Amino acid sequence: MAHKQSIRRLRNLYAVLLRLYPKPYRERFAEPMEQTFNDLLRERADEGKGLLGFALWIFVETFAGILRETLMTIPKYILRPLVLTAIIMLFPTFGSLYVTDWHWHWYSFVFAGALVFAAALGYELVARRMNNKTYRLAVGVAVISAFAMNWTNFAVGVFGEFDDIPTKPFYWGVILIGLIGAAAVRFKPRGMMYVMAAMAIAQMTVPVIALIVWPVEIRHLRHVAFPMLFAPTVAGAFGANAIYAALFIGSALLFRRASRLNPQMTQI
Amino acid sequence: MAKGTTNAPLTPAVLHILLALSAQERHGYGIMKMVEADSQGKVKMGPGTLYGSLGRMIEAGLIRESDKKIDPEMDDERRVYYKITALGQKALAAELQRYREVIAVAKRKSRQPGIAYGS
Repeated sequence: MAHKQSIRRLRNLYAVLLRLYPKPYRERFAEPMEQTFNDLLRERADEGKGLLGFALWIFVETFAGILRETLMTIPKYILRPLVLTAIIMLFPTFGSLYVTDWHWHWYSFVFAGALVFAAALGYELVARRMNNKTYRLAVGVAVISAFAMNWTNFAVGVFGEFDDIPTKPFYWGVILIGLIGAAAVRFKPRGMMYVMAAMAIAQMTVPVIALIVWPVEIRHLRHVAFPMLFAPTVAGAFGANAIYAALFIGSALLFRRASRLNPQMTQI
Repeated sequence: MAKGTTNAPLTPAVLHILLALSAQERHGYGIMKMVEADSQGKVKMGPGTLYGSLGRMIEAGLIRESDKKIDPEMDDERRVYYKITALGQKALAAELQRYREVIAVAKRKSRQPGIAYGS
């Protein structure tokens, strides 16, 4: 009698757990799963074995099944960026836990995760449009360059963390040129070549604007990004920007090559 | 598991389920008990693994749902029975043939000097 009550309670709990399955799966299998769970418990009760530990194992095993089935309902072009983001975010997580002086706030994790996910999703959405290795490489270089530039801009600023030169919005402008341009040319390789060239030009325009608008401040920079490569000087500021511009140009050249390999895709 | 293919190697769970269904149709609990018996208790599947595999096997055309029936040995609750399809039979035969070939290779190699398998 006591067993019957325990089985009924555990079965009810199991039915609640089964509600977490995706709807189509639940509609198909929840009833037989509940029945099987009931059979298993009854068998154990008849053998005089304990129910709780066994039920716990079934709950954990079923929960793993729920995760698996839920992940399988997510389209691959979203799942891959999600997995990549999770893997990459392990580094700052371990860094924050075990590395001295590495203390990220929760919003840093959210921002970094969102940035990685957006970059990976952007690659998936654009690169999957064409089965051409050069085009995919070009998209990869473009996405990684834009990601690195954005990361630097947000994290420390291309002109340094505590700079007196408010250039951050200008770099968002560079990304905006890329996004609007790519949509305008519908991601076609020849059009993308021009978009990447425009991004490179826009990138190099930022230090020029800074030199014109903030001539004193730029001469007294405390540091620029890539401090190992560049001294905090005017030349250093141009050098730091030139690295990103060179990456955008590299991507533009790859898009040009892709457009030559696929002449039918050259119209913009 | 692509639909309509019999050449791809099967996962251990799928192989055991096909084996359990090869002689007769069974419900979920029946499959679990058969798998446990076939593997001498070495393979224990929970409902999460079992029904996840069953769903993918139905999609791949290896098994299909049979009618709901009452198991006279259990109680009066109706259970969904599963049945192996012709494609499932083929996939099982192909997998067992693969195992036979592996065993044949292992036997041949075990006759070579200096190579010993098992304890």
